[in-house]
Amino acid sequence: MSDLDLDPVIGIDLGTTNSVVATVRDGVPRVIPSRTGQLLTPSIVAVARNGKELVGNLAKRQAITNAENTVYAAKRLIGRRWGSREVEDARRVLPYELVAGPDGNDVRVKQAGKVVTIPELSALVLAELKADAEAWFGRPVTRAVVTVPAYFNDGQRQATKDAGRIAGLDVLRIINEPTSAALAYGFGKQIEKKVVVFDLGGGTFDVSILDIGKSVFDVVAVGGDTYLGGEDFDRRIMDWLTFTFAKENGGVDLRQDKMALQRLKDASEKAKVELSSLPAADIHLPFLASGGDGKQALHLTKQLTREKLEEITKDLVDRCIAVTEKTLNDAGVRPSQVGEVILVGGMTRMPRVQRAVKEYFQREPCRGVHPDEVVALGAAIQAQALTSPAQPGSDVLLLDVTPQNLGLMVVGGYFQTVIPRNTTVPTSQTHLFTTVQDNQTSVRIAVLQGEKERAIDNELLGEFILAGIRPARRGEVSIEVAFDISADGIVGVSARDVDTGQHQSITVTATSGLTEAELKRIMDERVDDLLARKQSSVEFQQARQRATAAMREIEALVPAVQAALERSRFGKDAVQKAEGVMARVRQAIDARDAAELSASEEALDRTLQLFKGLAGQGARPPGGG
Amino acid sequence: MQPVAQLVDQGVRAYVEGRLEDARRLLDEAMRRDPGNARARSYAILLHGGVPGPETPPTHVPEPGPGPGRGQDAPAAPILPAAPSPRAPLPSPASAPEAPALTPAPFEVTLDDGEYAPSPWDDGPAAASTIVLEAEGGMDLGAVADKSDLRSLVPEAPAAPPVAQGVAPRVPPGQRDVEVWMAAAKDLHALGDFSGSLEMIEKILKLDPEHGEARDYLRQNEATLVAMYESKLGPLGRIPRLAIKPEEVMWLNLDHRAGFLLSQVDGTVDYESLFALSGLPRLDTARILATLISDGVIAS
Repeated sequence: MSDLDLDPVIGIDLGTTNSVVATVRDGVPRVIPSRTGQLLTPSIVAVARNGKELVGNLAKRQAITNAENTVYAAKRLIGRRWGSREVEDARRVLPYELVAGPDGNDVRVKQAGKVVTIPELSALVLAELKADAEAWFGRPVTRAVVTVPAYFNDGQRQATKDAGRIAGLDVLRIINEPTSAALAYGFGKQIEKKVVVFDLGGGTFDVSILDIGKSVFDVVAVGGDTYLGGEDFDRRIMDWLTFTFAKENGGVDLRQDKMALQRLKDASEKAKVELSSLPAADIHLPFLASGGDGKQALHLTKQLTREKLEEITKDLVDRCIAVTEKTLNDAGVRPSQVGEVILVGGMTRMPRVQRAVKEYFQREPCRGVHPDEVVALGAAIQAQALTSPAQPGSDVLLLDVTPQNLGLMVVGGYFQTVIPRNTTVPTSQTHLFTTVQDNQTSVRIAVLQGEKERAIDNELLGEFILAGIRPARRGEVSIEVAFDISADGIVGVSARDVDTGQHQSITVTATSGLTEAELKRIMDERVDDLLARKQSSVEFQQARQRATAAMREIEALVPAVQAALERSRFGKDAVQKAEGVMARVRQAIDARDAAELSASEEALDRTLQLFKGLAGQGARPPGGG
Repeated sequence: MQPVAQLVDQGVRAYVEGRLEDARRLLDEAMRRDPGNARARSYAILLHGGVPGPETPPTHVPEPGPGPGRGQDAPAAPILPAAPSPRAPLPSPASAPEAPALTPAPFEVTLDDGEYAPSPWDDGPAAASTIVLEAEGGMDLGAVADKSDLRSLVPEAPAAPPVAQGVAPRVPPGQRDVEVWMAAAKDLHALGDFSGSLEMIEKILKLDPEHGEARDYLRQNEATLVAMYESKLGPLGRIPRLAIKPEEVMWLNLDHRAGFLLSQVDGTVDYESLFALSGLPRLDTARILATLISDGVIAS
């Protein structure tokens, strides 16, 4: 059975800054381009000033001029609790408004006067990628594997799954980004080594150390800086341009002009990308700023050299290496023990970054994989392995594991792990605890998830009180706590006084902050929207097919029509007119202009009928009736 | 030599700022060079009360609509405010809000034989006018305005207090301007000068953002202008492309907003998306794009 006979399945790298969708075709993983031909889709969602919902590139192009209604980096917020340190950090830097959910637990965004949940926003990006995939496959796509950072907890993973559901995707599995990258790297190979994934993306920097052996991918350590990425490099270029422009134009401050800033941002990013392959980039922005007092608008023309870029971003590269060093130190891994370094993220294309990595690890980083695409390719490989185990390249099937340690809060406010990270689910573990005070009759069981030593620094999943404990001296009572994780990821925790049999339990289901009812409501709202889009897309496709067939017929009739016209005094320009009509139709098809295509269809049909008539005359023998 | 459009712009600016002599000079020059220029013509009508221009003395005032015309019920020898300066305009009456805002020229005019000078009573019923004379024999301009159809052309100083308490209600500063501008906006709208009308409406809304009638005219003017400009773009699903060489862009005469919009025209974005990502009001975006098309800078 070929790939074409199977229901398509995709892998999605849902990034903080950009997202990518990929699939495996004929055993080869490949990225699916967007309908406009781009491989990366910015993870940005906006409501434009005219009320139009924008996703991806268009949203990015107005992100500065319409900052308050443009949501980017929603991934920083997904599955987070309102009031958490991460949300507070984000509130300080994000230009759009964050609000608490109705129960005060989760975080939401106020966009164009409407409160929107984070999974809804991520769903819009996923839906865009799904639509791109459907356009590429030419049929519906409903199943996907989605990647998340290795440090995401259950709540964040569940929120990502919910986003998939809202977008109309059955998320087969959530896998870790570094694992996915390594999977793409190890595709078709059998490797057993320690691999470092150096992921410098648009907004975040993650370093992961993986132990790979016999198709087992163990993320042994993660580190990073959630506020360091390609955008910091862009900002340095913008600052340099702004400063030099002010110096050359009597102190005109471009930072006061959002339109100028938007153009500066786009040009900075473009120059940065160019400098990865060229020694210098020209930045040319005509009519960038108002000249003031009726004077001519001001232009910006500068050349940025690679040397200058490296000079103004040196500290950022140094920070990446410092974070890498700390992560390796914390994990007790020496650079020399690392068998391979995988570069992930567009920013790692920068030659200075590659040199710094090489200098630190004393080895060439792996260049066999595309840094922008590697995570999505890994997800596509995993999706293929899950759905078509018999297909080539499906030999690496990742197991569902616990992403973080699960445990309890114990005396002194510390965190005691019961089920360690990377344990395959389903699983169950039991631990014995005791009382801390004499004659203690109740105990508080706080169920936590995380990697931190102090309980408060981890995620609280739930808590309950076990009462009715036998009064005794401290340390004499045995309390058995059992953790049980089902295949669906539902965590059950029970506590039992071993002597009295008194017991209490709690069930924790990973939640994104959305209730099932809320999720259903959102999905219902989205269904109408998706149906409308699908309908218009289907109608356009049908019109295009009709027009293409008619044009083919017309073209085939041209010789006969020309022959007929040679014997006629009229209609000499018929072919020329037909070409004009067909040019209009082709233009409408290229522009995906359904209205224009529909308007031209009638003219096309008239032309076809005319040609058929003329060709019929031409076919008649001379002198024939 | 300045282009006509620039002359008209400067003339309109002078008019709006109350520099009526400048406005007349500039608009007359514009009309001399381009007699068919609708915008110059509409403002000139406002200034002169008739078709202006060096060759056409401003003696004819178009019929203002219902009501007695000049030479019928109006006094034969109208009492004009003695040498009114352009800075001493008269407010419009609340009693005749529908009458067009045609005003007599507040400066010297050339009279043809047998023609009367433009009169404040030309546009409305003069018979009922009651002129209150001040003690010194001067004229209470406010009272005249209330009873006649005089319209001020420029923002004026706050109204003088009424002569006697209770004779005239105190009008808040700016309100009279609003009335005058509103009337001018209506006239310009009727003359088909939607940009000029919009300019007036924007001035009103700056002073009185809740002005209902102004808001209605704002909507009408904007919708008409947007439709006019969009008709020049063609189907909004079309993708515009640069029609000149990129290096020629530098030699255009654009402002920074047009520069921004032009930078977004990259051959991948259709007109409708340009409206969405421009960040500008739809009217401004449509106007800029239509201008870029008519100047041959972009094409679709």
